[in-house]
This record gives sequence, C-alpha cells and structure tokens, in this order.
Amino acid sequence: MTSVLITVRLPRDATLESAMRKLELAEDEVDGSYGLVPIDPDEGLYALRVSEETGRRIHAAAGDSTHYPGPYSNPRIEPYGPPS
Amino acid sequence: MRVLIQLRPGLDLVAAVADPSVVTSASDVADGLPGVVLDRSFTPVAVPRPIPAAPGGDPLSLNQPLIYSMAPDEASVLVRGEIADDEISTRVSLLPASHRDVVGVFADPKIEKTLTCGGDDPVGDWHDVERLLRVADLAAEGLDGSGVALAIADTGINAAHVTKALGRGLTIDKERSWSPSGVTGIPGEFDVDHGSMCAFDALIAAPQASLIDVSVLLSQRSGGSELDGLLSDAIAAYAHLRGVLDAQPAESRALVISNSWGSFSPRWDFPPGHPGNYSDNPAHPFNVIVGSLAQAGADILFAAGNCGRECKDGRCAYPDRPIAGANSHGRVLSIAGVDTDGDRVGYSSQGPGRLTARKPDVCAYTHFSGSRAFGDAEPDSGTSAACPVAAGLVAAIRTQWSSAELPPSQLRTLLRRTADDRGVVGYDYDYGYGVLDVAGIIAALRRRAAKAA
Repeated sequence: MTSVLITVRLPRDATLESAMRKLELAEDEVDGSYGLVPIDPDEGLYALRVSEETGRRIHAAAGDSTHYPGPYSNPRIEPYGPPS
Repeated sequence: MRVLIQLRPGLDLVAAVADPSVVTSASDVADGLPGVVLDRSFTPVAVPRPIPAAPGGDPLSLNQPLIYSMAPDEASVLVRGEIADDEISTRVSLLPASHRDVVGVFADPKIEKTLTCGGDDPVGDWHDVERLLRVADLAAEGLDGSGVALAIADTGINAAHVTKALGRGLTIDKERSWSPSGVTGIPGEFDVDHGSMCAFDALIAAPQASLIDVSVLLSQRSGGSELDGLLSDAIAAYAHLRGVLDAQPAESRALVISNSWGSFSPRWDFPPGHPGNYSDNPAHPFNVIVGSLAQAGADILFAAGNCGRECKDGRCAYPDRPIAGANSHGRVLSIAGVDTDGDRVGYSSQGPGRLTARKPDVCAYTHFSGSRAFGDAEPDSGTSAACPVAAGLVAAIRTQWSSAELPPSQLRTLLRRTADDRGVVGYDYDYGYGVLDVAGIIAALRRRAAKAA
C-alpha cells in the first residue's frame, strides 16, 4: 500500500492550503495532484491522499479526538469482468 | 420432503404402467399411503428389475453383469409424493410395513442445469435482453432515458465502437465527464474495453440517456496494471459527480451511476476491525461519500462481483462474504447476474454482504452477446454487464420520475418489491429479491402516478 487517505473537518469551500495548515502538513507530505476532495459537503468532511508514514503521524497527532482522521486504506480496485 | 415411492402392485397394474398405450394414474397404484401427499400430476413409471445375467448370480448384488427385466412379476412402479419434513424418518421406516405394495422410499432431490460460468458461450443476445426488459413497453411509457445523466464509472468509453455495435447513435456528455489526474484521454474516445461494454449494456434500456464517461479505472498508479485504479480515485470521481448532481435543479434531479468494479482482495485493505478498513467499515471515506451522494439524490448501482461459489473469478481472494465495501452499501443497489434463461450465473457473488447483510439486492441479465468489446464471439459477461443493464433500467425510469418525485431509497424499494422471486421463496443470498421485472415496475409506477394525481 503506497498511499492512504486521511480526513479533516473544515468549513465549506475549504482549500488544500487551509487543510495543510490545519493538519500541519508540508508540501511533500501531500499528494497535491489529488488535492482536497469533499466527502460530505453538508458535514464539512474532506479527504487527502498522503503517504503511509504521514497517515500514521496524523493519527498520532489526533490523540483522543473524537474524529478519527485516518489512516484509511486506499485499496486497488478492478473491473468485475469478464470473469476469468 | 419430496420422495419417490417404489411399489410392486398386482401384475395387471404393473403391466398397464409398463404399456405406453395404457393411461394410468398415481391413484390407480398408490392410493391411501399413510402420511404421503401423492403427486397426482406425476404419471407412474415402470422400473425394470436388475437380475444376474449368469445363472446362480447373487440376486442382491449390482456389481456383476445384469439384465433388466420389465416382466410384470419382476418390474416395479414409481410414484411421486411429499412427506412432512418432521415425519420423514418415521414414515420412511413404517411405510413398507403398513402398505404391502411398498418396497422402497427414495429421496427426490431437486435437479438443476449446470450454471453458466466464465468462458462459456453467450446465452442469447442483447435483443433478448431488450425483449426481457420490455424496452418497447418502457418507450411507450415515455421511459427511454431522455434527459437523464447516466455515469459509467469504469475504464472509459469508446463511443464509435458502441455506436457501431448498437447500430444507433449515443450521447457522451463530455463537459460533465471526468478522469483521474494524469489520464489524458478524451471522454468517449478511450480504447475499446470493459467501459465500452458497460456503456453498451446501459443503453439497452435507456437508449436516449446522456452518458457521463468517468474513467476511474485508468488511473496511472505506480505498480498497477493499465486497467485498475485506487479507491481514492473513486472518491475524487464521486466528489465530481456530487457537483454534477448539485448543479441540477432540485426538482428534476436525475443522476444514475453504474459501477462494475470492486476490490478483489483483502490484501490491499486494512483488516476488518481496523478503523481505517474499507471492506467492512461504513465510516471509510468512500462509503461515506457513497451514502452522501445517494442521500442527495443519485441512484448508485454496484456489481455484486464475480466470486460466486460455483465458478468464481481467479482473482477472488476473500475467504467468505465477497460482496464488500460499497458493493454492499445499504444505499446502493447490488446487482447479481442471471442469464437470459433467468438462471443465476455461477460466478455471481452470493451474500451476505459485509456492510449490509441483505446483498445482492436484485438480479439483471448478463452473459449475452452484445457489445463485442472483447471479440465477436465473447459475451458481455460478469456482474459487470448485469450492473449497467440494471442502471439503464433505472435511467429509463428517471425519464419521468426525478429523484424529488421518487427518492432513490423509494426507487430501490420499488425495484426489490416488484422483482420476480427466484430460488427459495422470498429473499435469498443467490438471487436477492429476484430478477428485475419491468411489467411489475411499470404497474407500480402507474399506481403511484394515479395516487399522486
């Protein structure tokens, strides 16, 4: 697994920069081409793609927070067919 | 339990049963068997007696040269009946004693034809699917997909190939199409592959739908093949589709998303129980965004997968419960596969699902000659084909019924309730609620329209 996902709660229309600031992430710790992806705009929930190591750091930094920020798995997906 | 009862009635009766010119009935030979409900529709059958071919042979052994005698004093007669499950052992042991003609009671197990598997020839063609989906009836109701956005989340569409295979034009909505970062192809102009098959199959029931080409399986991740992707790309695709949905007027929203893909192996995932796991965890970001998009008005369909016990795909690596992650989400329709004879294909994954137990939901048609995306002789197969066939039907319904008028949750319920029940009575993990039944759907929509008027 080369990358994982982390989530962050931010106001509507948040930017990647604001997410990086909140999570104290350096540029080389985030997949910038993936960006900041809204998961549930009504809940202000966003996702970022980071390395496994960064995912572990974010988890450790979250401490006892009620929001689990990740890391979440980023498994490979494949077409279901034709069956072989 | 259904049973076969072997009797040796009078010689005249055995001779009559053995004579094809004489009509006999079950009650002629076996009336009054205690505890047996006789199947009177079953014509008695004469069974020859095996006897040793050589003089002095053991009359009880079948492991020797035999001849089969239909002489009335040798042959016997079979009838069919049913014994209550809780009485079976008692009745079977008592019947020969209580009725002198009875010489044996045997199980009458259900026999089934061999299930269609991967590599088998097509079963019917897409015109059969058109007929089974009553596409003409749908069109007569004004349900042809006009004005409905139908997203094919797959390997990209080749519109020229699909046009040629269908023999008619199609609409690709390039503006609302999407590709992962790094994928440079043009919507509707990707290589002919799995995505073109899905597009073709979706257009069977919804010929006028507007296709959104979401080439999520083409992401260029390191170490991957050309035709796989990462779940994070699907999250980005769904965020894009949320924007598409939100841009539609609330009163006329219609967005159907067909997903013929999944994760074959737990090897790529955190283990179940880990808070970052995908397969069993409704809190995974992809499962959250799927729920959020469905709640906002999108109809989301996922293939149940090709990990059916009878002939699973070689890539299947889950030891059990292969319908995992979003493919088993409570707010999506998980689509199993049947061939055009209505029989479940052997590779169609069985439930229970990992996020929601009652998966698959319903069945749609697969394994038919259609798009020819994989060659002229190759069928459109897998639950990969069944999913867009079902998605096309949903898109056809959305022509007249926006998600404001018929919310996705109610549409899912309607499709389950009207499905043609197969397998055991009621819900089962092979067929779900049954095969999508367009006649039932149209009738239900008419009743709903009349109620609303």
